[in-house]
Amino acid sequence: MTIQEVMKASPATVAPDETFGHAFALMMEQKLTHLPVVGSEGVYLGMFDLRDIWQVLLPKAALLAMDSLSDLAFFYESKKQLIDKLRHAANRRVEEFLKEEDAPLEVYPDMPVIEAVLLLHRHDGVLPVVDRKSRRLVGMVGAWDILERLR
Amino acid sequence: MHPEASSHVIFGWSAAWVSSVLFCIVYGLIISEKINRAVVGLAGAGLLILCGVLTQEAALRGIDFNTIGLLLGMMLIVGITSKSGIFQYVAIWSAKAVNAAPVGVLIMLSLVTAVLSALLDNVTTVLLIVPVTLAITEELGVKAYPYLINEVLFSNIGGTATLIGDPPNIMIGSAVGLTFMDFVIHAGPAVLLVMVLTILPMYWIWRKDLVATPEAQQRVMCFNEREAIKDSRLLKQALGVLAGVIAGFVVAHHFHIAPATISMFGAAVLLLLDNFGRSADDQSKNVHHAFSEVEWITLMFFVGLFILVHGLEASGVIRALAEQLLAVTGGDQKITALGILWGSALLSGVIDNIPFVATMIPLIKSLAPVFGGEQELMKFWWALSLGACLGGNGTLVGASANLVVAGLAERAGQPIRFWDYTKSCFPLMLLSIAVCHLYLQLRYL
Repeated sequence: MTIQEVMKASPATVAPDETFGHAFALMMEQKLTHLPVVGSEGVYLGMFDLRDIWQVLLPKAALLAMDSLSDLAFFYESKKQLIDKLRHAANRRVEEFLKEEDAPLEVYPDMPVIEAVLLLHRHDGVLPVVDRKSRRLVGMVGAWDILERLR
Repeated sequence: MHPEASSHVIFGWSAAWVSSVLFCIVYGLIISEKINRAVVGLAGAGLLILCGVLTQEAALRGIDFNTIGLLLGMMLIVGITSKSGIFQYVAIWSAKAVNAAPVGVLIMLSLVTAVLSALLDNVTTVLLIVPVTLAITEELGVKAYPYLINEVLFSNIGGTATLIGDPPNIMIGSAVGLTFMDFVIHAGPAVLLVMVLTILPMYWIWRKDLVATPEAQQRVMCFNEREAIKDSRLLKQALGVLAGVIAGFVVAHHFHIAPATISMFGAAVLLLLDNFGRSADDQSKNVHHAFSEVEWITLMFFVGLFILVHGLEASGVIRALAEQLLAVTGGDQKITALGILWGSALLSGVIDNIPFVATMIPLIKSLAPVFGGEQELMKFWWALSLGACLGGNGTLVGASANLVVAGLAERAGQPIRFWDYTKSCFPLMLLSIAVCHLYLQLRYL
């Protein structure tokens, strides 16, 4: 079984120059956890996902990638503040959130599904399916796409 | 010739030349930061032995294991203690104690940083305090910059006050046999003066930025510092051991116990308490983690450096340098002491103070006969300690804590630029050295 057989073709996408607010609304509307960012001619650029939204909500001190602030149990944050944070971020562009990853998480249509299973076991989430040559996004594959086929 | 100097240097080269050239290359590579400093130090030390300047036995005698043991023990104790969350607790508590008023928070966090760095190493102190500071300043809606700069300055200032506060003091204390209380009594008053004369200008420069709304202050007052404590059993054990170790440092001198014994034994006791009743598997994981928290890079750098400096000593280079120093100062105590103070401050502002102090220690020791015995050297040791520790405040690269804060600030989106830092802090460093100049002059010269 190849990934092409299980993937969801033509998923919702967002362009890099669109706003955080637009991407956020799209995700809320369709209850998406991952929104692929595609550039001109549908080339896959990276993933906008829930972590980007969590990042906006968190105090900067918690994002230092050090365990020195191991939790925020002592912290205080009002509902209004969290809403304000989302509002402040609304006009930021999606491309600001694209992460530089050492090994981008992606799969190709002709790969065996078990490769996607391995990646999902390691990272969880939803994987972008990218055409090897043109780097265009051809689909997305997540847990339910695979598990539906196995019933 | 020094009894340990080898007469079998490779190709019949002069031991003095080989050790000097190697030392300069190592120094250059450390400054260039192209290669990790521990690697450079160890490779230099290895070459020194392979070239025949020192035998392995002589090289090992050059390593001050008291310094290494003291640092290793304290790193273990601090690593375990920091897991308890006590340092975050203290930082949040101190901010709330002044009603989270921005100026009060600035003063309190500076003081907390100074006190902690007097008892712990500076890098650990800022690693623990900076994230909390960022959380507090973000809630207050004030610039983090003045707070972070003050924490840099006060981590170096606080570290100057005690035997264990800063590596130069550990090295000097170990080489000369100075006690914990010696540092508190002799460096302490100067440190207090410098603290006052640092916080006042900092407040003056930043006073317009240190304003927050009552709502913002209220949000910080809602922080619950008790939640910062992760493990209250560990906390009690760690604080008990830490207090015991510091009490040990204070009284050790009377019982002829060296500081490394106290810190290593303290680390062993804390590891014992922390692992008591755990399964064998759990113990290995826990102990492995504790040892992995140790900064081996620093320790291995020390090892390499001690050997390289011992090479200089054994081949007569240090003696020659000391003669040069005396020729410049004319053998005058006052000029020598103040020269050491200003010279070490300016150099420590741009280069790592650890190799500098490691070189200066044998150099100053060799001055004893000229000035009438070891006792007469005390003022030079205080000049070296104050200059080397406080000089680190001069630039962003002056001390490792500075770079750590800059790194954290960058990631938090509040970058500290090299020249911005130098513009405000180099004059403050000069002011602090001028204070020490007066202090030394009034008290010792």
